[in-house]
Amino acid sequence: MNILCVVKFVPDVDNFSYNYETHTIIRENSDMRINPDDACAIGFALKMKKRDPQTCIEVVTMAPSSITPLLEDILRVGVDKATLIADPLFAGSDTYVTSSILSRYLSGAKYDVILTGSHAIDGDTSHVPSQIAQCLDLDHLARIQVIDEERFATSLARVEVEDENSITTYEIAMPSVLSLTREAAYRLPYVRYKNLELDVSDRITQVSNSELGFSPEEVGFLGSRTKVIRTYAKVYETRDTILVGPDDSGIDVVYDFLKRNEFV
Amino acid sequence: MIAVLMWYMIFSKGMNSSDMKKILLYTEIDYAQDAISLMEVARQLYKDEKTQTYALVINGNKTCLQGVCDVILHLVDDRLHPFDQKGICDVVSELHGSYHFDAILFLATPMGRCIAPAVAMKLETGLVADVTRIAHGSEGLELVRPAYSGKIMAGIRITGDGPVMMSVRGGIFTYTPSQVVESKLITLEGLSYRYGSITVKDKKAKTIPYDIRESDVLISGGAGVDDMKELEVLATLLKGDVSASRSVVDKGMVSRALQVGQSGKTVSPTLYIALGIHGALQHVEGLKDVSYIISVNTNRNAPICSISDIVVEGDALTFVQRLVKRIEKGQQL
Repeated sequence: MNILCVVKFVPDVDNFSYNYETHTIIRENSDMRINPDDACAIGFALKMKKRDPQTCIEVVTMAPSSITPLLEDILRVGVDKATLIADPLFAGSDTYVTSSILSRYLSGAKYDVILTGSHAIDGDTSHVPSQIAQCLDLDHLARIQVIDEERFATSLARVEVEDENSITTYEIAMPSVLSLTREAAYRLPYVRYKNLELDVSDRITQVSNSELGFSPEEVGFLGSRTKVIRTYAKVYETRDTILVGPDDSGIDVVYDFLKRNEFV
Repeated sequence: MIAVLMWYMIFSKGMNSSDMKKILLYTEIDYAQDAISLMEVARQLYKDEKTQTYALVINGNKTCLQGVCDVILHLVDDRLHPFDQKGICDVVSELHGSYHFDAILFLATPMGRCIAPAVAMKLETGLVADVTRIAHGSEGLELVRPAYSGKIMAGIRITGDGPVMMSVRGGIFTYTPSQVVESKLITLEGLSYRYGSITVKDKKAKTIPYDIRESDVLISGGAGVDDMKELEVLATLLKGDVSASRSVVDKGMVSRALQVGQSGKTVSPTLYIALGIHGALQHVEGLKDVSYIISVNTNRNAPICSISDIVVEGDALTFVQRLVKRIEKGQQL
């Protein structure tokens, strides 16, 4: 079985550099990591490979080449191969263009299922998994917490999706795009000590636009259907604040406030 | 037939080139009451321009936007489910082919967030997710949304030929109808679309004790609270409910139904007590028209403090225990 995981590397949202002039994240300078939901997708794929060693896992990502060390670590935990879609022409692509680029690569790839995360912690638009499914004419389900391992390699996968009101079990024809959430119990293992320096470079394939063949105006800022025109840190209207401690006088201030406004 | 179609296409094109802006609102059966907020989005998008609003209702209650929306497009097909991204994407695209909408609006529900991107891809247009504000700036229409866990707000313009597409969360936009509209009901027949392969095998309802959007008083716990149970006593005394920030929900301490914030719910209580909540933008985005905010934090410079009426600098649970005692003492007097 060929499992294809489409993943994104994201900046640490607590510590990242942002270029307010070009409205883009400075990926080269930011502390990057695999998006947590996407790590669950790879975690599940590795679990299936454990059940059936014939399973082949390919991780696909669109990112600058500077994330190569992170991809290498994913190969060191048992993923078979990685494809890095990178080209300076692709910089500044919005979700529409990103989905188009990924889909063009995927349309020529070999897969029985495509796994992704549901949300990315940086942009959090959740556009790309749905859009890939649309481009490849596949069915798609998101926010998956459980995939039935027994039935996974058959023509109908069974998955559980939990939302705030219910837990629903769906059946979906394969191949399809299945998007997991970080609430799923599948984890990406750490690299074992003996594999820390393992040379995996021959298992990474870099794909650029010369293979994909977009014209320059179809990709990057030019091809995008949305344009970020302004970015700013939001400033909220501040209030006249009373500062107190949690001592008796402070508690009295809070209590009087509650009493005055008829909460007690 | 062809003549009718030609006439229709010319007519609908003509309508578009005139001032009339056509807006499609995608409604979902489980979120019918939130759909009205899309009317406010439509209003803010085109302000004083002439608009015609179309609500697409699939197997739902066709009266959901009756009297509010100009046209109700009603499709009845038991085989077409709300989770069928492929099928619904076909339906919306097909309708756009006939009506040439200027804007297509979705609620950012779990399914809406899947269907909207697929439609945008099919129509080769831009989409902005989770819009919180609509601005009309010097560069034209600007859709504002939070990104990077709410640390940054981004103003986004849709370039290209459109339609303008966006999703908005329930509770962000509030619509006040100015008059009752005579809604025209169109039953959709003869649309061409496919069905996806997805079927439901089992569905278990979860019990949700209360809806935090309805609560008048919320006692909300964040990273600085390691025992959410203690909050319940205070909530009971203040006739309120317990809610939480994302970090508490991510740790699995409470149900996601209780989460306040951009990735949770937008709440409007009269009193919000923020305990050990830092107040990142993604959390504060979930507070709308809150009359009073009391925050308890070990860091008096936490962002939540600047928007609070009272800041208690200290440990959240110590505060809760002391305030509970104080209220109980007050009751005995």
